[in-house]
Amino acid sequence: MKKIIKKIGFTRLVDFGEAPLVRDRIASPKFTTGFMVVEVLIAASIITVSILAATAVAQKSIYISRQAFHTTQAAFLLEEGAENARIARDNSWDSAIGLNTSEQIGIFTRTVVASNVNRDNATKDISTMGTNDPGTKLITVTVSWLEGGTTIIKTLQFYMMDIFS
Amino acid sequence: MGKIFKKNKIIIKKNHGLPAQTGYIVLELLFYIAFFSVLSLVVINAMIIMARSFKETTIQAELVQSGYIMEKISREIRQAYDIDATSTSTDLKLNTKDNDGVNKIIEFKFVDSNIQLWDAGSNIGNLNTPNIAITGITFTQITTAKGKAVRIVLTLRSINNLSGNTEDFYNTVVLRGSY
Repeated sequence: MKKIIKKIGFTRLVDFGEAPLVRDRIASPKFTTGFMVVEVLIAASIITVSILAATAVAQKSIYISRQAFHTTQAAFLLEEGAENARIARDNSWDSAIGLNTSEQIGIFTRTVVASNVNRDNATKDISTMGTNDPGTKLITVTVSWLEGGTTIIKTLQFYMMDIFS
Repeated sequence: MGKIFKKNKIIIKKNHGLPAQTGYIVLELLFYIAFFSVLSLVVINAMIIMARSFKETTIQAELVQSGYIMEKISREIRQAYDIDATSTSTDLKLNTKDNDGVNKIIEFKFVDSNIQLWDAGSNIGNLNTPNIAITGITFTQITTAKGKAVRIVLTLRSINNLSGNTEDFYNTVVLRGSY
């Protein structure tokens, strides 16, 4: 083997057995010291696979940046949902307690729901137990949209008090 | 390729009687050429996709940045105590107070694909960056039993987006100063 390598001039990536030796014997030295087609083929394949991997990354980056933009839009829609609940409260507490809306804005679906809040009988703190406080509501704003086949949901929750009646 | 092929032919000629595998046959070359063509097609396609996605990412980044226009308008509305009577649907004048508690007017004006910010009668500048064109803004005044609110619909597009797709931002803000 050592002898073969010495004759060829450099270590080959693929061992072709006796073939290089035979060719070395018959062909001109200039021809044998160059790259073989198989070597070029392997190199080209490796480069292609790497570029394809980079393409996958680029496509993922589009998906992520679109999602980031939709999240920004959804953040404003959440804020708007919360402000709408405040507008309902400012008009009349009765319209605020009955809040249960669902609307479609472009690709986004927004729901605003008011739910009852209980307060602890002893401490008067908001708790899961205790008695219902008619002057406080838990507002849940949800914005959802479809992103590349999966539904993304963003939620904003806050307590609203009857401060005007 | 053709040159090698020619060369090989010469070699084969010179070495008459030797086995044929010393050179490349036409079929082999055809296969290699076809294979390299397919590879180069894939690579070129990949390059085009990467260039497009880079552009798309830039556009999306610009659009995300333009969300700050809405943020700025929302913050100013929240601090204001009233809406000036001369306001229109594309020109919002807010009665607000400066740091010393002195009354002043903050104005958002839609002029030639730009949103100008006017502070106490002087033009501060455009809220949008030069690569964002505002295609429309609508301020809708809402009067409640206890105060006022403004609904904002902002439509814009990136000037790098040649297809002309527009994006919308929606927000509604209650004037906290009016309570």
